[in-house]
Amino acid sequence: MTTINPYLNLSRQDLIAKAIAIAPKLVSIPISRRLLNYGVWVLAALAFALLCKNVDMTPAVFAKGFKNLLRFFGGMFPPEAAGQEIRILSALAATFAMAVSGTFLAIFGAIPLGLLGAKTLVKQPLAHFLIRRFYDVFRAIPALVWALILIVAYGLGPFAGVVALAFADIPRLAKLYAEAIENCDPKPQDGILAAGGERVAILRFGLVPEVLPVMASQSLYVLESNFRHAAILGIVGAGGIGFELEERIRIFAFDQVAWIVIAYVICVMLLDTISEKIRSHLIHG
Amino acid sequence: MLQNMIKTDENKAKFVAEFEARRKIVVMKHRAAQISIVLILGLILGVSFYTSGFFITNYGTDPMSRIGDLLNKMIPDLEPQNLLKGRSQSGSIASWFYDMPTWLSLLSQTVQIALVATIFGSVLGFFASLLASKNLSPLPWLHWSSRRVLEIIRTLPDLIVALILVAAFGVGPLPGVIAIALGTTASLGKLFSEANETIDWRPVEAVKAVGGGWWTQIRFGVIPQVLPNYASYALMRLEINVGAAAALGVVGAGGIGIELSRAITYTEFDTYLALLILIVGLIFIIDIASEAVRHHLIGLKLAR
Repeated sequence: MTTINPYLNLSRQDLIAKAIAIAPKLVSIPISRRLLNYGVWVLAALAFALLCKNVDMTPAVFAKGFKNLLRFFGGMFPPEAAGQEIRILSALAATFAMAVSGTFLAIFGAIPLGLLGAKTLVKQPLAHFLIRRFYDVFRAIPALVWALILIVAYGLGPFAGVVALAFADIPRLAKLYAEAIENCDPKPQDGILAAGGERVAILRFGLVPEVLPVMASQSLYVLESNFRHAAILGIVGAGGIGFELEERIRIFAFDQVAWIVIAYVICVMLLDTISEKIRSHLIHG
Repeated sequence: MLQNMIKTDENKAKFVAEFEARRKIVVMKHRAAQISIVLILGLILGVSFYTSGFFITNYGTDPMSRIGDLLNKMIPDLEPQNLLKGRSQSGSIASWFYDMPTWLSLLSQTVQIALVATIFGSVLGFFASLLASKNLSPLPWLHWSSRRVLEIIRTLPDLIVALILVAAFGVGPLPGVIAIALGTTASLGKLFSEANETIDWRPVEAVKAVGGGWWTQIRFGVIPQVLPNYASYALMRLEINVGAAAALGVVGAGGIGIELSRAITYTEFDTYLALLILIVGLIFIIDIASEAVRHHLIGLKLAR
């Protein structure tokens, strides 16, 4: 043994003194700094407590509601459809039909807007900026908010729901499409231009083959999220499963609520799996 | 030998004919696949439009004019000479936004709902992600089952959860907070677990080597690596949650949404437009602030 640890026979006190001599800032944090650290944490905790109080998140309210919630959960078992299976399943079908129709209309509306929003097609920077901000403004409006106002225009029923979904998705899809178009390789288009192609030919053979799979996969993604949004729209009167659910929650028929929720979750997971399969097929070929 | 066979003319013709026949079959198959895809899509669309009552719903006159009428009602009657006058003067901006103090407090409640829900959702999502990530989960079956649970929660729309919670907790912001927190937990749990699965394993092993337990390994080996990712995901979720919280009031779960449904019930369409402008403005402000913070975080991560 040639190397002997020089710190081996030092006492604890001496060790700490040596450590402070080597790296003073690492061993002892000054008291002012430590107070500041604690102060920040205390302030953050206070702010959070205040926030919680503002949104009624107090133990008393929580406990009361939680008792009700447990009672509801107790009522959920066993789930039962009370002889209304056909009605519930047809409402589910109507909900998914609303999602498909709304997405289809949105795709139609979003294709020209997506072309318009792409930097590669509208080259003027100010125009590009304004068009994109315009989409952003409409992207901030949720489908439910559209549905509320469209039901006034078209009356209760799924028509307003379909249009609301389409309105909410057009700016979303337009942005996604525009990004897909911007991200595609310009070389095939240059090639067609060099071979003497017209503008339409450039779009058809230079752009479409490249962006179509991406756009299709993004549309499917929006469709998946619409399966969820469509279920919500029934609550404000656009028909479908949301309406059935709300009706049953209002009369505290939680066994039927549980049946509907389970049926809905199974359907959505199934549809999501199918759509995911198609999407990965589209992207990876 | 093959080349000798091709050299003779009749063999050449035979090969060409064979090739053409095969090519025809391939092209036909391709066409058939394309046509069947178009047919299936058309069938799905037809059934969907039929089931959703798109063409048979009786909505009176043509749809475009109904929308036009509604837009007409939504635009307030502003008068240029009275634009900046007080609230009691009709035609002024103040009379359009006539209940501004209430709306501002409801907007701030909306932000608070989103904030509290995002904080709770992030914390719970962090713990859920520990269970749901392949490399950190203490037990293999736990990893699988917690993933499935998160998936099921993600399929439930937050408004339907809020509807049940409003029945339990009564009208107020708390059901909204819980509903959004639940959705946030599920989606952040998934995103966080994906971040967890890409970590560098060496720091964790170092902590393990000096005798750290499971939690110490997580605290000093994992969290420092994933914290910037977590923060940027949580901020992204905050943006989504502000929009969700704005809509939640429609079912009585707090926030500005309650005014939206009130404006519709009292047919105050110009008020609806005013509220829409406020909501869009709020979401814009939140988006810009969160984007600035996220870019800052990404900068920090790149600088390291």
